[in-house]
Amino acid sequence: MAKEGDMSLYQDVLEPFRRVINTDPPKEKLSASAKMNFTDSNQSIKEGLSNLLSIGKRKSSLSMVDATPDKRQRTESCSASVPPSPWEAKRMKIDLIAAKAQITKLEARVNHQHTIRKEMQILFEEEKASLTEQHKRDERALSDMEDRLNIIRRREQEIKDELSESIKEHREYKTKWEGEKSELQKQIAELKDKLLEANVSNKDQISEMKKDMDELLQALEGAQSEVEMLKKELAKQTSRAEQCTALRTKLEKQTFELQQVTSKLKEIQYEKDSYKDWQQQAKTAQKRLTNMAELEKEVARLRATERSLRDSICNKLLLEEQVHQLTARLEALQPAQQELHEAKVKLASLESSLAEWKAAARAHGADSARALAAALDHALTNQLTAVAGHSQAQSQLAAVTEETATLKYERDKATTKLNDLQTVRKSQESLIHRLQKRLLLVTRERDSYRQQLDCYEKELTVTLTGEGGAAGSAALLAARVEQLERALQGYRDLLAMQDQNSHATVVEALRADVSKWRDAAEAARRDTAKLRAQRDNLQGQIERLSVPTTKVIHLADNPAALAHKQVQGDLEAANEEIKKLKAALREGGSGGCPDELLQIKQQLENSQIKLQRMKEEFTSSAQEYRDVCYMLLGYKVDRTGHKNYRISNMYAESAEEYLTFTLCDDGIEMVHTDYSATLEELVELHLHHHRSIPLFLSALTMELFTRTTMQQDSDEG
Amino acid sequence: MCMYSLLSYYFVSSFIPLNNYFKMSQQQTKNSITLRGSAQIICEYLKYAINSVLFQRGLYPPETFKAEQQYGITLLISEDAQIKSFLTNLLTQSEEWIVKKKVSKLSLIILNVANKEVLECWDFNVQYEDGDAALSKEKNETVSSKELKKIQQEIRDVMLQVAATISYLPFLDCRCSFDVLVHAKTDCDVPEKWAEAEPVAIQNAQNVQFKAFSTGLNKVETVVSYKLID
Repeated sequence: MAKEGDMSLYQDVLEPFRRVINTDPPKEKLSASAKMNFTDSNQSIKEGLSNLLSIGKRKSSLSMVDATPDKRQRTESCSASVPPSPWEAKRMKIDLIAAKAQITKLEARVNHQHTIRKEMQILFEEEKASLTEQHKRDERALSDMEDRLNIIRRREQEIKDELSESIKEHREYKTKWEGEKSELQKQIAELKDKLLEANVSNKDQISEMKKDMDELLQALEGAQSEVEMLKKELAKQTSRAEQCTALRTKLEKQTFELQQVTSKLKEIQYEKDSYKDWQQQAKTAQKRLTNMAELEKEVARLRATERSLRDSICNKLLLEEQVHQLTARLEALQPAQQELHEAKVKLASLESSLAEWKAAARAHGADSARALAAALDHALTNQLTAVAGHSQAQSQLAAVTEETATLKYERDKATTKLNDLQTVRKSQESLIHRLQKRLLLVTRERDSYRQQLDCYEKELTVTLTGEGGAAGSAALLAARVEQLERALQGYRDLLAMQDQNSHATVVEALRADVSKWRDAAEAARRDTAKLRAQRDNLQGQIERLSVPTTKVIHLADNPAALAHKQVQGDLEAANEEIKKLKAALREGGSGGCPDELLQIKQQLENSQIKLQRMKEEFTSSAQEYRDVCYMLLGYKVDRTGHKNYRISNMYAESAEEYLTFTLCDDGIEMVHTDYSATLEELVELHLHHHRSIPLFLSALTMELFTRTTMQQDSDEG
Repeated sequence: MCMYSLLSYYFVSSFIPLNNYFKMSQQQTKNSITLRGSAQIICEYLKYAINSVLFQRGLYPPETFKAEQQYGITLLISEDAQIKSFLTNLLTQSEEWIVKKKVSKLSLIILNVANKEVLECWDFNVQYEDGDAALSKEKNETVSSKELKKIQQEIRDVMLQVAATISYLPFLDCRCSFDVLVHAKTDCDVPEKWAEAEPVAIQNAQNVQFKAFSTGLNKVETVVSYKLID
């Protein structure tokens, strides 16, 4: 491109030359030689040009141009050697002139071309300079670019270094962080270990606590079992106690029976004694057998007595039957009597309640049941009317609340109106006051004018009358002045008086007004307070009565409902259980726990049998003991009461002959009886002297025995 | 703990500036609370408050409760499945209603199971506020610009007051249970599994008002009324 550009530039530069060369035809016509030369030169130029065009070298063409003057000089020297003819000379001169002209022309052209060349040179140099400058600039730019490249490279290097550094840093940080991370993980692991340990310790503790709890539970169970055992034992004990009490009652019964038996025994003894008597009587009868008649008589008598006795026995049986019947009837009648009693009691209570009812009825003004019913109906109707009245009253209340609201509104309006009126009145009062004042002033003015008029009239009369003497006029003037001054003073006084009076009265009136209005305001305020309270009350009532603006909703299966349901279920279950248990209780032991009951019953039977046996054994052994004692020691010992013993001897003549002893703290003492009174000797001797009861008793036995044997002996004898 | 989080925040921000920018942008959007968000905050408060009351009043054995960190304090949450399901059912529905502004009050009542007598009533009055007007216009929906931290602070104050009630509320010496009554507007539909209930009244009641908290869109007042035993 640069070359092409250069070429075009060259062509542009050479264009004038070409033009110069092409515009040469007139010169070619001038001379052949010259033509020749010039053609040569032209040719050379053309060649040069062609060369220049083909090779592009300026210098060569320029050298060719420089060579042309040399050639011209040579051609000139060649022409000078030939001798001149006149025509030729002329012609030569012409030619010379022409040549000279041509030379000058050519020189001019050469000069011109030189100048052109110089211009060209200058141009080229300028071009060159510009090109060199451009070149330099390019170089500079290149160097700049290189510098920049270097800088960039350096920067890149730096950046690379930085990158590597940052990578290094990053790695360091990474390692650091990893270290930290590992540390933290370690910490976490430690914490986890700790947690595990804590968990383990907790678990241990929990297990320990559980163990403790188990132990406690076991202890509790043990305690409960103990409690149950104790309860059982208690039950046993109570059963035993019951048994004991039963035994005791049985014992008492037995003792009672024993007593009965003893009493029977006594009776038997008594019979025995009577038998002895009979024996004695038989003895006596035997004695009397000798006299048979007597005996027969006695037999008859005895038979009669026996018959009578039998009759009496029959009677006794009859009586016993009757007694039995009567007792049965009594037993049958007793519940009837009880019922009678109960009925009486009930009657009494009913009567009392009736009396109360009657009293209550009387208190309410109703003497009879119908009146009471009527009164009740009346009361009910009254209640109904009262309810109706209540509803009416409520509606009235609503109406009243509305009325109060309207009244309040009206009252407010009225108060505002009142205030307006008050202000108007005040303003009017003040106006009136002002007008009154003005009226007073006007009247005064009028009065003063009148006086003045009078004065003027007087003056006129005076002047009319007093024109005669000057001295009189002066005196008159003075008098007039005096009069006027007096009048002025009077006015002043009057004015002051009027002012004071009017002011005081006005103030008083105003004060009275103010107090009155204050009272009114106070009353109004009280009214408002009352009305406000009433309104608040009514609003509260209305709010209570009014329908709520919100509705209350909740989840259907809320915890409260669930809990309630559960409680009701529990309650029902408990009730059913109670019913079941009650039924079981009613059914009795058969349904409850038959095994235990049977066992207990068996035990009871066993124990009863045992008791029976023991009782039998006891009675038999007691009887045996008593018999043995009686047989060995000759005394029958009866316990008559607490610490009292009655002993009767085997050989005693009658049942009356017995002795009584009481057990004291320091031994046994004999109690005085009718029989003991007959044994004074023995008592004196053995008890008082020897102080021995056994001795006394054996002595008594001995004596009685000797007595009976003596009697027998005597009987035998 | 706060210090630690701050430090970690600093640590992260110094190395990852992009993340920091992200956080910044997140923080800018954080301050707007929508209606839904407000309802969620309230329902969360209700959940913790009801659980707290159940624990404090001893309605359920303490071992069925689990400690949880919330609002910067430790609160106890029941682990009983029945209570959990009841509360979730209740609160999801309540949230819808609060968003639609249908609820005026929620009452937690504690009653004697044997005779259904109401012994205590915990009223949560829900009021509706306008929120931040300028921000609402910008966002094209009703929002509040109140900071979440401040709301939580307010809730914490209320929770502490609730915890302190144990010192003066009377001892519940009978078997008790609880129920939650929703005071909704009359035009509100009753959904499935819900039923209308009677409004409760406590004889000789004593009222104690707690601090109120507000999300900017809703204001919740807590009042406990209990039977005064003389």
